[in-house]
Amino acid sequence: MKGDKGGPYKLEVRGLSKRYQIPVIEALNLGIRPGEFVCLLGPNGCGKTTFLRILAGLEQPDTGEILIDGEAVDLAVSSQHRIGVVFQEPRLLPWRTALSNIVLCLAPLGIRGREARERALHYLSLVGLRGFEGYYPSRLSGGMQQRVSIARALAVEPDVLLMDEPFSALDPESRQILQDEVVKIWRATGKTIIFVTHSLEEATYIGTRIVLFSARPARIRGSWELDGSSDRVALREELGQLLAQEVRQQQALMAQT
Amino acid sequence: MRVERLAKATTAVQRQRPAEALSRVAIRLHLPTLVALAIIVVAWIALSRRFGDYVLPPPGRVLDGLRDLVVTGEVWEHVAASLYRISLGFGAAVAVSLLLGFLVARSPLLSVAVKDITTVLNSTSVFVWIVLALIWFGLTDRGPMFTTFMITIPIMLSNVIEGIENVDRRLLEVAKVYRFNELARFAHITIPSIVPYIVAGMKVGFALGLRVSVVAEIFGVTTGIGYMMNFNRDILRTDLVFAWAIVLIVVMLVTDKLVFESVSRWVQRWR
Repeated sequence: MKGDKGGPYKLEVRGLSKRYQIPVIEALNLGIRPGEFVCLLGPNGCGKTTFLRILAGLEQPDTGEILIDGEAVDLAVSSQHRIGVVFQEPRLLPWRTALSNIVLCLAPLGIRGREARERALHYLSLVGLRGFEGYYPSRLSGGMQQRVSIARALAVEPDVLLMDEPFSALDPESRQILQDEVVKIWRATGKTIIFVTHSLEEATYIGTRIVLFSARPARIRGSWELDGSSDRVALREELGQLLAQEVRQQQALMAQT
Repeated sequence: MRVERLAKATTAVQRQRPAEALSRVAIRLHLPTLVALAIIVVAWIALSRRFGDYVLPPPGRVLDGLRDLVVTGEVWEHVAASLYRISLGFGAAVAVSLLLGFLVARSPLLSVAVKDITTVLNSTSVFVWIVLALIWFGLTDRGPMFTTFMITIPIMLSNVIEGIENVDRRLLEVAKVYRFNELARFAHITIPSIVPYIVAGMKVGFALGLRVSVVAEIFGVTTGIGYMMNFNRDILRTDLVFAWAIVLIVVMLVTDKLVFESVSRWVQRWR
């Protein structure tokens, strides 16, 4: 197991805890360097999504702090640091076309009119949807809707792009295509991406680093760097065993409650 | 044996088909309704012979009266007067319920109060408002407007609030992530989400408004469908009472079919 290489971090989480009736996340520390493509891997129900929702500013942590570029931020209110989120579902406004879904999210940044249109078109082409800008979501396939959602998240030019199991609802073919697409976009934009998944194959296929979460309450079980020379087969086997342990533990927890 | 039975069954189905097709055509042309209408008209003629013109004028006279109303243009004046009052009263009800909807969306505490008030308003009789309108507004246009407003507002309000409670929370999270302000969230997510509720409320509200407003027109005003019905009753022209009743029904059907259906189709064109 290789640990963190150390800062400077794009995003750093220190001592983060969150409980509902039971502790969901406990004293979690994580640092992510600029341009990393981090896959958060862990059993279902372990708190990965809660963690991502805290980063998205949708939930408040009980304790701990979040730093962007070394500065502590309150993500629920901060507007300086932009976070792009791709949810599990596309979550497009059904009454707006692909283009105007994106344009609408640029208005709060003060980007309007032609500039907004051009930027939205740019990101729509980046996700391979040039020519579909005038389509309502109901006319697009699930995979295409998720592409619009990715374009929307990129269009705000976020510091960090959060993706919460974005391809889990798609059929295997679309999932494969979109995984390649996301890697391509990551290479082209150099974005810092945090990608939540419970699929070991997906994590080892697309990430530059894998962070394994333990069963609830979520702690970091380990972190693995991946590069061109990594032995993915061996890593998959090692991670597979660790993940299986956590999944068993998580299921035991679920059985208790 | 089985083959034979199967063959028999097939011919039975084939024989049944023309009959089925015929009944489908009959349903599409509303033939059963037309038959019922014919029976009613025959009964109407028979009864009008028995009771006389004042109690029940025959259909022919009613149609003559209706034709005169249209030819002289009298009908438009009064239909316009009625629609004007309803549109203002009902329009105010829609505006106020959207405004209250915005406040309720901000504070769920308010929604309890608004819901309770809606319940009280819903169980208040039309007549209460008609009488109060006479006291407060006297013999003016504002009486029917006020009555329409008071009767339609609980319907619009309860629909708007129900719609707001059913707005997809996942879309509201999108608004939060992308830093929409409150007004943008209301305009771009809440309002479009509750459009089906608003349109449904408008259909019911407008129909009710029309029915109530003509009653309110009996008092205090000198134009409108309701006034004309009461006026013709006064001068013993029962045939024209019937004619105006038909006008009222036609106005109702036309606004519902033409106005509201095309409005609801247009606002939901993205489906």
